[in-house]
Amino acid sequence: MNLRSFRSPLARALGLGSAKSGFQHWWAERVSAVALVPLCLWFVVSIIAHAGSDYLVFIAWIRTPFATSCMILMLIALFHHSALGLQVVIEDYVHSGARFVAIMAVRLGCYGLAVIGIIATLHIALGG
Amino acid sequence: MIKNGTTDGNSTPARPRPLSPNIQIYRPQLTSVLSIANRITGLILSLGAVGLVIWLSAAAAGPQAYGVVQSVIGSWAGQVALFGCTFAFFLHLCGGIRHLVWDTVHGFELRSIYISGWTVVGSSIALTVTAWVISLLVAGWPQ
Amino acid sequence: MIIESSDQVSRLSWFKRFPIPRNFKVTPESRIEKGRTWPAPADAKRVKAFEIYRYDPDSGGNPRLDTFHVDVDDCGPMVLDALFWIKNKVDSTLAFRRSCREGVCGSCAMNMDGTNWLACTRFISDMGTNATIYPLANLRVIKDLVPDLTHVLAQYAAIEPWLHTKTPEPEKERLQSLEERSQLDDYYECILCFCCTSGCPSHWWNGNRFLGPAALLQAWRWLTDSRDEAKGERLDALEDPFRLYRCHTILNCTRTCPKKLNPGKAIAEIKKAIVEREK
Repeated sequence: MNLRSFRSPLARALGLGSAKSGFQHWWAERVSAVALVPLCLWFVVSIIAHAGSDYLVFIAWIRTPFATSCMILMLIALFHHSALGLQVVIEDYVHSGARFVAIMAVRLGCYGLAVIGIIATLHIALGG
Repeated sequence: MIKNGTTDGNSTPARPRPLSPNIQIYRPQLTSVLSIANRITGLILSLGAVGLVIWLSAAAAGPQAYGVVQSVIGSWAGQVALFGCTFAFFLHLCGGIRHLVWDTVHGFELRSIYISGWTVVGSSIALTVTAWVISLLVAGWPQ
Repeated sequence: MIIESSDQVSRLSWFKRFPIPRNFKVTPESRIEKGRTWPAPADAKRVKAFEIYRYDPDSGGNPRLDTFHVDVDDCGPMVLDALFWIKNKVDSTLAFRRSCREGVCGSCAMNMDGTNWLACTRFISDMGTNATIYPLANLRVIKDLVPDLTHVLAQYAAIEPWLHTKTPEPEKERLQSLEERSQLDDYYECILCFCCTSGCPSHWWNGNRFLGPAALLQAWRWLTDSRDEAKGERLDALEDPFRLYRCHTILNCTRTCPKKLNPGKAIAEIKKAIVEREK
């Protein structure tokens, strides 16, 4: 509690007022989560099924159109969900101005990594 | 006389009131422990996602790069990390499904909260062990 | 293992606190120092030790932990009775709020053995061997076990806990069917003890902006009241990444409510109402 301020407790509780938004973030986190359930399960099952295989078997598996699409969809959903979740974590624990930079960095990093992952998948799938 | 925690605006403020302890003394309960576990596993999986992209990029770069990454994964440290990531994945998955059920406003009675909570813990352990046993059988036991 | 009701006390003695230092990340004025141990009564057969948080604003010192030995046969069965025994027979400077002594006013809310509850409805026999009594968590302390509720009460005021109407007043009362009235059940009974808000980790980290379970439960009480005509405005005021959406369904609130209410569910209902109007 700030001792030096004569601001009333109600004014302090009301703060800068309601942002009147927040639903989109919450909804997107749920949508990406619902998408991730089957996609991640597919990924984990595929990895287990191909445990111990060598490079060529793995490449052949990724090359199938089904695996390529699932992998790309999974990367999109995964990094979107991750970006949203990490933003919430930063908002919870970082209270200085640094939080804006951190949230931007995390979001850009996630999208950058998603693109790198998608390009790598396409490279494997479409390469000779 | 300045009462503790107040100021009359004319002199230097009195010393602030102490804050009663929170996480230092609050009892860990299934509610709070599973919640922070969901968050910690989420953070672990975010790191795992970075690893996934590294692995895919190595595969795209060719068999040599892929071989380097595979040997790192195959090392003892790599296998421990992979086991940790698997457990984190299943805990976050089961915990996440529990959250999605809550979003439909079901399962909020204390009895349901505790039953679903222990179910999340039990099924995560079971799924992790199952996944590893099956993959070791598929790959052949390491010598 | 399976808790069916919030009045069930956790029996685990080995996992009573998170494994972090006692004064972890605590500001200098809040550091708890070692206090004095008060002597046990000479002729008592059954004695129970209580470690109680003490803070004297007039002394200029830091908070401390005093140990009292209470003659259990000489006082009533509840922790509030033990506090009165200490105040009457050992140390009259021990300060705590109390009123009804039957669990309906919310004055004696405090943290006992790590969980928030009302002292007047917590049995001494349910306290562990090293019984600890702290004020409600994460609140400024006025003295001993008396917390400063100004901010949490202001957050309650901020949700405008009164009927908003646009339709002019009817001749008699604003009508409400039995079914509509039952929508208020399990929400109107809140006694504003703030056990829930004080036990919410999200409120610990963001209490200046996150409204907390008590205020949000009451927000839902007014949202679900069929006589209220400002649902849209109320939801507008609540839909904020901090005011409402700092709730991550940790559910410490439902676990700790001494009136067996369900703030977690109320908050989920608010989120669902927002979904309904968006989609």
